[in-house]
Amino acid sequence: MNARHQMLCTWSGPVFVAVFTIGFWWLAHYLPPPSPNASAADITALYQQNTGQIRLGMLLMMACSGLVAPFVAVIAVQMKRMEGGAGVLTYTQLSAGTVGMLFLILPALLWTVAAFRPERDPNLILLLNDLGWIFFLMPFGSFVVQNLAIGIAILAHTGPHVFPRWAGYFNLWVAVLFIPGGLLTFFKTGPFAWDGLFVFWVPLVVFFLWYGAMFVLLRQAIARTAPAGAAA
Amino acid sequence: MTHLPGEPGVWVFIVGDLLMFALFFGAFAHYRAQDPALYLQSQATLNQGLGAINTVLLLTSSWFVVGAVQDTRGQRAGRAGTRIILAFLCGAGFIAVKFFEYREKISAGINLTSNDFYMYYYMLTGIHLLHVVIGMGVLIFLWRLLRQSALRDSTVSHESVIGHLESGASFWHLVDMLWIFLFALLYLMK
Repeated sequence: MNARHQMLCTWSGPVFVAVFTIGFWWLAHYLPPPSPNASAADITALYQQNTGQIRLGMLLMMACSGLVAPFVAVIAVQMKRMEGGAGVLTYTQLSAGTVGMLFLILPALLWTVAAFRPERDPNLILLLNDLGWIFFLMPFGSFVVQNLAIGIAILAHTGPHVFPRWAGYFNLWVAVLFIPGGLLTFFKTGPFAWDGLFVFWVPLVVFFLWYGAMFVLLRQAIARTAPAGAAA
Repeated sequence: MTHLPGEPGVWVFIVGDLLMFALFFGAFAHYRAQDPALYLQSQATLNQGLGAINTVLLLTSSWFVVGAVQDTRGQRAGRAGTRIILAFLCGAGFIAVKFFEYREKISAGINLTSNDFYMYYYMLTGIHLLHVVIGMGVLIFLWRLLRQSALRDSTVSHESVIGHLESGASFWHLVDMLWIFLFALLYLMK
């Protein structure tokens, strides 16, 4: 019935990833991130030198953030097929995934404000930069719950095939890897700082892996329902 | 032996988790090599006795879990359930020992920002402790499953119980093995 709509929503995932990568990496040069240990002068110089690129990059980040919603929704639809009934895990995934969008929108806004008047007091630029990065990388809670909900729904499911069981364990693994993000509050250098291995690089790679895996899995799951024509 | 214990999917998690801990160990070794004196000097303040007790606790719990898997294969769900409870209690003992160990450090004014060694000490043992808690949740799940099986609940087949037992046991052994690596790396390595 609505397999075509579901496929459209599934494609919003890779489009989001592509636009985000262009904005965040290629334009704003936020990869690698600026060190949380950098001085106000260094951070301000960054915003003064790349003003236009950061503005444009954040505009793209804002534009693509909305594409998270259809991707989360199509996951919810497939989860509902597995879960049936009251579907609490489905709603948990839907709400936690939707809240996750905020941690794209808010940092993009904060970095936009920093680039809006790069001539302002360097300490204020530093504050906005800090706010952006901490909003971006620290809120692991909603992502962990979203992935746990998907993982548990897959592993508890016994009926007709929707997602393979390894995908359930994969989602649990992703949930665990997002947890160290919360630790950035304690450090300005090293692997647990916001530019560190376990707070930035590992979650970033896992985030992209997750989008790639879920994209393929969703396409397969939708394709399986299409011939039958009717799914709940 | 070519039999992969548990269902294949659980190994996605186990191998993935091992990969993450390999990165932790690699990062630790990398930074340690840059300042070995600081790491050795800080390491000397750790309580090796409590670390050793915890090693024994986890090894014992793994032994109970192995026994539980064998009991399940031999259709002795009741005994398997008892062994799972004993393994769970060892896990609880591990957490209790860790609590006293952390309290000892914190009351000595050592926290995770004291220096790089203590950062790794708190982070790695903390993330491992989270694994212990998750593993204990898995043990409770297995215990409930075994109880249903012992009560001849027709909704659980013997094969599925064995499968779940093997998957859960594999995860618990992972938690045990990671601790042995951590104990060697943080408490013992000279």
